Amino acid sequence: MNSSGWLFLGARLSLAIAVGLGVGALLGAAWAGLAVVLVIYLSVLLADLSRVLRWLRRDEPELAPEIAGPWGDLVAMIVRLYRRKQFHKLRLLRLLRELRRSTAAMPDGVVVLNPQAEILWFNRTAARLLGLRGKSDIGLRIENLVRSPEFVRYLRGGQYALPVILRSTVGVEQYLSVQIVPYGAGQLLALVRDVTHQARLEAMRKDFVANASHELRSPLTVISGYLETLTQDAAIDPAIAGPLQEMRRQSARMTGIVQDLLELSRLESSDSSAPEQPIDVVALMAQLRRDVLARPLHPAQVLMHADSSLKLLGEDEMIHSAFANLVDNAAKYTAPEGSLQMRWWTDDQGGHFSVTDTGIGIAADHIPRLTERFYRVDSGRSRATGGSGLGLAIVKHVLQRHGAQLSIESQEGRGSNFTCHFPRERLERAT
Amino acid sequence: MDAADLTHHTSKRFNEELERVRTKVLAMGGFVEEQLGRSLTALVDGDSALGRAVAQDDYKVNGMEVSIDEECSRILATRAPAAGDLRMIVATIKTITDLERIGDECEKIGHIAARLATIERPANRYREVKHLGRTVQSLMHDTLDAFARLDVDMALKTCRQDRVVDEEYEAIQRQCITFMMEDPRTIRRGLDVMWVVRSLERIGDHAKNICEYVIYMVHGKDVRHTSLDQFERELAERAGQQR
Repeated sequence: MNSSGWLFLGARLSLAIAVGLGVGALLGAAWAGLAVVLVIYLSVLLADLSRVLRWLRRDEPELAPEIAGPWGDLVAMIVRLYRRKQFHKLRLLRLLRELRRSTAAMPDGVVVLNPQAEILWFNRTAARLLGLRGKSDIGLRIENLVRSPEFVRYLRGGQYALPVILRSTVGVEQYLSVQIVPYGAGQLLALVRDVTHQARLEAMRKDFVANASHELRSPLTVISGYLETLTQDAAIDPAIAGPLQEMRRQSARMTGIVQDLLELSRLESSDSSAPEQPIDVVALMAQLRRDVLARPLHPAQVLMHADSSLKLLGEDEMIHSAFANLVDNAAKYTAPEGSLQMRWWTDDQGGHFSVTDTGIGIAADHIPRLTERFYRVDSGRSRATGGSGLGLAIVKHVLQRHGAQLSIESQEGRGSNFTCHFPRERLERAT
Repeated sequence: MDAADLTHHTSKRFNEELERVRTKVLAMGGFVEEQLGRSLTALVDGDSALGRAVAQDDYKVNGMEVSIDEECSRILATRAPAAGDLRMIVATIKTITDLERIGDECEKIGHIAARLATIERPANRYREVKHLGRTVQSLMHDTLDAFARLDVDMALKTCRQDRVVDEEYEAIQRQCITFMMEDPRTIRRGLDVMWVVRSLERIGDHAKNICEYVIYMVHGKDVRHTSLDQFERELAERAGQQR
């Protein structure tokens, strides 16, 4: 508080006392004069106080009373405090409104849920996509309105790492991706996106790959057939025998790629999990070992360790193709003096099949991308060994359909280790 | 909104029980909705495996009905609900019966779809059945929405919608008869299609019943076997009196 109020008060008070004393002295009763002046002064102060109180009680800060002295200062300060609060409040309100408006205008649908999954708030996009209605749906449980069993399972399951894709069949066909994000104290945020376009594109892509590979297969068969006859023809000019051989090799490689593509699209087209046929992994390993040893160039040592005789439950052909791909890769990238080791073991987590080699290895930054289609660590080397570039993609898909995972460890120049981890449900129960 | 009536309860646990029953009914409704969608997809796409899967999954609907029924009986016995709560329980018991019947109709469609998938499909690929199916699907969806929101206006609107289904049913019936007369070889398929549209029409009727239970639940007025116009007039009068 500045001192002007006090100065004013002091000046007025001393003036009043002086006048009171002076007038009192003239009339011969100085003390009585002083008392009268003080009483008047006190009542003025009290009147001011009551005005201030009345003003505060009325709750109309704009109509501040005009008062001089310390009460005036007090009023001015209250007004200042009020204005500052008002300013902050307005700023917050504006911010909140902007925030709401921006969330409402978001292209993605947003629904805020409380721990009981009751709807607290949603934006316009969410209303459009999920068919929610204005204020009347606030407070209802979201699962009562979005009743797709898949969504209810997702909501109650509590596993929110991945979004769930819902297909709505009412009216136009529509695919929605819904992801729940927990935040705060048990609150949930549901993000809704229309993925119809992506789903259609994905379906088209799959169809295209399947059809294209299918169409390519027949002409390729014809070409390979003729090339085979030609290369075996003794009367052929030796000058073109070399090119013919090369053509035959390349057409064989192309056939391999087309076959792998077909296999991949077959794996992709069904999302159901693989059937549960018992597979004798030990016998499969023995067969794979024979296949490796039958190659013209193969690692000197091909070892197999079977620590368990438990059978794996899965689809025979798919598992064979996945394991063969892993073993094939290992054999291809390992020098003849190196070694290759297959291992099958089971523990509390489930079954594990690993292939370890002492080959050329893979640099760490390539490992995460290895299972992409046509991904080449080094374009020169895989072409020379005649791979299709799809082997590991097939392995990944096969394992996905068996609920299994692939882990890759590798050191450049030292060798690599590929391990498939199967869940316990995929093992035959020990008798 | 009337839904608020259910939430103002002295006993919080009772409240939760009622809410849980509602959620279970709607979960059952959601499952039946999916069954309907899948059975129609099986028919239109000629997917016999899907048709069989739908028929097989009907036991889940029956299981849900039994479990909800038990829960309702338990609430009646232990809580002795009154007024709105009692109406809700009564309406729920009736609703799940209709839902279960809808599930049975879906099972039938699934069976027939599996059978029809093995024979040649008509040139129009069951377009009219698909259209009727869409109408019935949206009817089902609106019905369950009305149940979830206790929305009488929507329930009334959906009740009226049932007439559209009946008309379409008649039209397909006539069309089927024409086809069968033109070419007796299509009689077998024609009869099966008739069964499917008949099932769809029945589903429409069950949906209408559920809408009537919604009206009963909210207003305590039984509108079965009375004309909807009359009920609407009464509603308007009551609203006028309140004003």
